[in-house]
Amino acid sequence: MKKVALLSSLLLAAAAVTSTAQAAVARDTLVVQWANDVPTLDPAATYDTASGAIVENIYETLVTYKGASIRDLEPLLATKWAITNSGKTYTFDLRKNVKFHSGNTMTCADAEYTFERNLVTNAAESGNWFFSESLLGTGANANDDKSITWAKIDRAVECNRAGQLVFTLPKVDPAFLSKLAYAGQSVVDRQHAIKVGEWKGTEADWKNWIGKDLQGSNLNKQPSGTGAYRLVRKDANAILAQAFPGYWGKKPAITNVVIQKVPELAARQQAFLRGDADIIETGGRANIEEQLKGKPGVVVVDGLPNTSATAIFMNEKIADASRLGSGKLDGRGIPANFFSDVNVRRAFAYSFNYAQYIRDVQNGKGKQRTMLLPDTFPGYDEKVKTYKYDAKQAEAYFKRAWGGNVWKNGFTLNVSYRAGAVASQTAMEILKKNVEALNPKFRVNIQAKEWSAMLNDSKAGKEPMIIIGWAPDYADADNFMYTFYSSNGYYFPRNNWKDASVDKWLEQARSTTNAATRNRLYSLVGQRAYEQAPFVLIPAGVGIIAHRDNLVGVSARAYNPMISFDDTGTYWKELSKK
Amino acid sequence: MLNFIVRRLIQIPLVMLALSVLIVALTMLLTPAQRAAGYIRSDQQAAQLERIIRDRGLDQPFPVQYGKWLQSTLSGDLGFSKSSGQPVLETIIERLPNTIELTLVTAIPIILIGVWLGTLSALNKDRFIDQALRVFAVLGYSLPTFVLGIVLLAVLYGYLGWLPGAGQLEVINQFAVGDIRRYTGMLGVDALLNGRFDIALDVFRHLIMPALTLIIVSGATILKVMRNNMLEALTSDYVRTARAKGLPERTVNLKHARRNALLSIITLGGFLIIGLLSGSIITETIFAYPGIGQWVVQSALQLDVPSVLGFALLSAIIVVVVSTLTDILYGVVDPRVRFD
Repeated sequence: MKKVALLSSLLLAAAAVTSTAQAAVARDTLVVQWANDVPTLDPAATYDTASGAIVENIYETLVTYKGASIRDLEPLLATKWAITNSGKTYTFDLRKNVKFHSGNTMTCADAEYTFERNLVTNAAESGNWFFSESLLGTGANANDDKSITWAKIDRAVECNRAGQLVFTLPKVDPAFLSKLAYAGQSVVDRQHAIKVGEWKGTEADWKNWIGKDLQGSNLNKQPSGTGAYRLVRKDANAILAQAFPGYWGKKPAITNVVIQKVPELAARQQAFLRGDADIIETGGRANIEEQLKGKPGVVVVDGLPNTSATAIFMNEKIADASRLGSGKLDGRGIPANFFSDVNVRRAFAYSFNYAQYIRDVQNGKGKQRTMLLPDTFPGYDEKVKTYKYDAKQAEAYFKRAWGGNVWKNGFTLNVSYRAGAVASQTAMEILKKNVEALNPKFRVNIQAKEWSAMLNDSKAGKEPMIIIGWAPDYADADNFMYTFYSSNGYYFPRNNWKDASVDKWLEQARSTTNAATRNRLYSLVGQRAYEQAPFVLIPAGVGIIAHRDNLVGVSARAYNPMISFDDTGTYWKELSKK
Repeated sequence: MLNFIVRRLIQIPLVMLALSVLIVALTMLLTPAQRAAGYIRSDQQAAQLERIIRDRGLDQPFPVQYGKWLQSTLSGDLGFSKSSGQPVLETIIERLPNTIELTLVTAIPIILIGVWLGTLSALNKDRFIDQALRVFAVLGYSLPTFVLGIVLLAVLYGYLGWLPGAGQLEVINQFAVGDIRRYTGMLGVDALLNGRFDIALDVFRHLIMPALTLIIVSGATILKVMRNNMLEALTSDYVRTARAKGLPERTVNLKHARRNALLSIITLGGFLIIGLLSGSIITETIFAYPGIGQWVVQSALQLDVPSVLGFALLSAIIVVVVSTLTDILYGVVDPRVRFD
């Protein structure tokens, strides 16, 4: 027994001693460590950042963003396009001699199959709803909307005799091109997909595929794209990709890409600091500044654009009596239409300490925006006024609200944030502290709510006040402005704020492709929203990433927030190592 | 004995059935929206919450949902794991051998070292070595696994560079694994069978830190129990009788006292192996070891019901099989125990 135990210990020690000094990752290999699994490699099911960051490198879209710009698009699998029929017909010339990883040559039939497949399946979990909105006039699939027929789908995407791809839209959609740049709209290999058991691409079996969740599809297991990298293997350890020898474009400098799943931040940090990983999921600004910045071999790129927008919603028509307390302005609750008085909304907007939030939550690296739109997006207007923390102004508006009854009687307000979201909790606490300091009769109760419950309740208009954000599906102002400000927008039930002028401007902005006109309309929406204060705008954090110093191609100048998400803001093919 | 084994094997489907009813019933405590949230990852997708509920039948009554699950399970389809991006059965087949491999290199040292040190401690009661081992046992017993794991990682990998970091393989070997023919699913074993000693060594080196963590934590428990059992056995009548017969001290201690002290270690070892085979959740997560434990924690966090159910069924099989083996072993070691 003693001998066996000793032998075990010796074996452990021997194995440790055989260790050689760790070498940094090879020059032709990029090693990335993430915390979670990659859910899918099927573009049609891609609707999360992790999947998108891989899919965009093994597949390609018709168009892509030009360098770091999110305003300018350039051809990728297309060579050029024409917009005719008053902006309702898009005709794409496709690149010739492009090979899929399977060896098949890309033709227009592949592109047609791809987009029809996205429209046919349009699973609830996928991002195809916004693509379907453009081409079929509804975000629903054929199961949910019986007006969607095979003929309608077939007509929307066609190849003409010249081998061009033609999209026919029911109405103008200025965001359509941006939508085509989304990784989920990457062109798939039709022959290969059918061979591995996917939809056959005809009317014969289209009904079997309606609403089908493709996350675990056969195409996910055996992808075949036109991208600079092809999948070698995906297993519980890692995702391995290699440069595709038959790639139509410039040969990438990095041959191998390894995406490892390392759930524990401490383990990822150790690997990063030792040079065993080139890029890691860092855990955010605080962690980068405290644990990584200034360490040997580490480069920190700061001041990157932030493409999400977050706001505190004030619900003007609260649909849940249990959240209203007494339901009256008697100090023990609020009426259901408490926030319908603009003075209340402005008072809350003046009560939020924006500078404190930037200092405490964003480590001093935040920016107050003028509207709920990323400042890098077309349509953003710097000149629109913003609220500042001003207790005197807040008091003045509270005194005006509801004929003076708010100030006289006080109120008790129940607010919610997503459980575990520390930044949201802090924002609510800042607001609570400042509001309650104005008048001893003011009371704000903060409640943490589980995500699904908050989503459901707020969607049903039951939440008096919530804090929630939006990240872009595609780089167009409509994706934010319509979502937040329109009474037909996704977020409308959460605050029930309706403004006829704003609705009109937003619809106009949706129905023109004239950029100057759209920008002017969005500016009008921003100004009106400032006056009406339907939201308290939460300052936007400043993006920050870290990478190893031998990785070339990562910089603030090259960073595109719509590509590779938080990693490098570039495609893998644009990186090299020294 | 044969009857006993057959009876135990019959228990497996019954235990699994009872467990599955319980777990499906427990998941029904969540609202359809809560369960649908497991299928979405962003606020954008939340817009589709109602569609997800409808498409997946999450609002249907319990008997309907359970019936559907049971029907597909009996046909060999355990459902799709959202957390791993592949069918549940494929995930289990891929990850279980890794966990078995970790168990193989961990369980034996834990039991052997624990038994050896426990015996040593008892035989040297109140001497320095006993005090030192007791301190070690308390430390190992009370130190949280994640703290120990992170400390080992920081020191042996981050600071000294003696051992590789998290994962199962060095990057250089990741691409070579595709050429290895899989016989057992255990990467290290398969690498050996393929004559790829470099990969086998790499796998083994990656196993050291997770194994060491488990050995320290679980070995301390075995040590503690063994020491107490041994002390009890050393003062028992049969040991006194053995000594009175003039048997050498070594024979008395090891053959008479330790053999009896080992009885409860068999039970404890059984529990230990059940725990290891069900996945060492914390250890596998810290060291990014792609076993069952790492997967189940992700599944639970993501409310991935099919994965949790699949894991529960796997656990049921492990519990019944290992318990049966433990009972058989008990009967072999202790002639007083008979099952038939």
